[in-house]
Amino acid sequence: MIKISNLAKKFKVENPKKLSEQDKKDPRLQGRYFHSIKDVSLSCDNGEVLGLLGPNGAGKTTTLRVLSTALEPDQGAIEINGVDVIQNPVEARKKIGFLSGSTGLYGRLTGRENIAYFGRLNGLSDAQIEEKITVLAKQLDMETFLDRRSENYSTGMKQKTSIARAVVHDPEVIVLDEPTTGLDIMATSTVIEFIRSLKEARIPVIFSTHHLDEVAELCDSVAIIDQGITTFQGSLDDFRAKSDASLHHAFLACVKKENV
Amino acid sequence: MWQILKKELLEITRDRKTLFFMIALPILIFPLLIGGVIYLGASAASDAKAKSLDFAVITNVANVELADKLAAVDNLNLIELTQTPSSDEEIAQLIKSGELDFVLKIPDNYGDDLLNSGQILITLYLNAAQLNFVQERLDEITKEISERNQKAAFEILGVSPEVQTGLLEPIKIERENVADQRETIGATIGGMIPYFLFILCLQGAMIPAGDIGAGEKERGTLETLLLSPISRTQIVLGKFLTLCVAGVTSALVTVLSIAIWSLVVSQGFQIEKVAEFMSSIDLIDFLLVFFMLVPIVAIFSASLLSLSIYARSYKEAQGYMSPLIFVVLVPVMIALMPGIELKGVYAWIPLTNVALAIKELVKGTMDYFQLLAIFGSSVLLAGALLYFCVYWFNREKVLFR
Repeated sequence: MIKISNLAKKFKVENPKKLSEQDKKDPRLQGRYFHSIKDVSLSCDNGEVLGLLGPNGAGKTTTLRVLSTALEPDQGAIEINGVDVIQNPVEARKKIGFLSGSTGLYGRLTGRENIAYFGRLNGLSDAQIEEKITVLAKQLDMETFLDRRSENYSTGMKQKTSIARAVVHDPEVIVLDEPTTGLDIMATSTVIEFIRSLKEARIPVIFSTHHLDEVAELCDSVAIIDQGITTFQGSLDDFRAKSDASLHHAFLACVKKENV
Repeated sequence: MWQILKKELLEITRDRKTLFFMIALPILIFPLLIGGVIYLGASAASDAKAKSLDFAVITNVANVELADKLAAVDNLNLIELTQTPSSDEEIAQLIKSGELDFVLKIPDNYGDDLLNSGQILITLYLNAAQLNFVQERLDEITKEISERNQKAAFEILGVSPEVQTGLLEPIKIERENVADQRETIGATIGGMIPYFLFILCLQGAMIPAGDIGAGEKERGTLETLLLSPISRTQIVLGKFLTLCVAGVTSALVTVLSIAIWSLVVSQGFQIEKVAEFMSSIDLIDFLLVFFMLVPIVAIFSASLLSLSIYARSYKEAQGYMSPLIFVVLVPVMIALMPGIELKGVYAWIPLTNVALAIKELVKGTMDYFQLLAIFGSSVLLAGALLYFCVYWFNREKVLFR
């Protein structure tokens, strides 16, 4: 289970003149600092899929980066199955599988080598890695291209390899940052199938997205971040209840008017 | 750390472009280029020597032996002038217009009887801006005639051969170089060696550096790497060692290639000299050169890695790294300046001290006590840069720009 409470993270603004018009108007810009997230709290139980929604620039990626230990928060606490992520980042990383829409592969290595590299970095033995790759290759149907250089892969092949790479170490939680952005329908359905399989395995998944149909299809609960603050967290049904019309209206009801 | 090193090296060996620059360039292209320049220079000189030249002789003397002998040389053609030029300007005009390549003005006192004629002053008109070895070709023949006439004159005067040499050259200075051959050759080439080695090490490390830092950002693999359960320090060290290996490999490949090619080229006529020079340098000195390069490569690698990880893209990284070549050249140039020796403050300036030390080692005049200062300052700087690199890698603003 994942529990995030009262997370805050600010970035120093090196050159205020270079900020976009939208950023300048943002109330999170205070002096030399941009408070990207100010108060984010959410939790995700085992076997639950949490959809993280919010307008562009709301702080979704920052939240997920802090959760996955790439960034250090200024405030707040994160717990993954009892491990304090901020105190033990290296320990926590072993429990997290992370994937984003822009995740790349090492083009000059084969798919197998890409996966194996991260397996080794996670401390797996060669035998364990081989066993795991065999299972994943079957599950994701990637036996035909696994031993070719990944620079020649299609987007779908790349995404499959990235997924395999993210779960090679059997993580206890999965964090996905806009995993379907920029993918074609085939590759998207691979990702959705993958999330479904995680759900069956009772692994908690947090994923950020702009696609409400994905949320309707997969999620058990929803959290909405707007201007660095969680404005909603609850079950999918609670979210639906926000509006009579559609999920889009429900979403709009949860974000501030100036964004609309 | 070793996993990262292993994977980075695997990637380098899979990259044709990097391999081309690191291996093929020094082994094939550089020697071909240098060889080409030397060949062109040599063939231009031999062409000039073999070039057929037209000349004329202006004289009032009948049957000048010198003119006949010159005319008998294969590629010198005596041209009979229809009209004898009266002034220097007219002669110059003949040469400038290309009608003649040179003109000899032979005085009236020309003859074989040296005792009567005295010195014969022949004027040679030529365009010295052109490379055609006129003087060299003339000297061959005038020397022959002069020596013969000299001998005849001495015989008439009854001068013994010993007195003859004394008369011809009353005082002669004979040079005895106490510097052994190694020191002489070392002084000439010893200054150039560090120049090449430094640039090669830097170049060798620079090629993969862009990929290893900024490249990871650009391809979107950096984030995943940072989320692996290894510390940032380990990541930095792995990448740093990769660059070190690349730098040293590139330098070694080039040095070996130069050594092998120069052996091949010098086969036959100079091989003994080269072999003798090489064998006069101890194995320990060779090893010392290598060991001194290690902290240098570390300095380069840490700097390159810091620049590369700061850049947003491969292209940006190239822009940051290229000026480093000029930064490296400055301390090497200091070492090349006359009068600067490996002692005092110069022994403590990183890069400069190694450049000086390599020169001393090649010359065989190394003050081994200075190694302390050399390794001390180099290791200190390399350590500081590596420390900075680790610190730099822990900055969010560097990684997520």
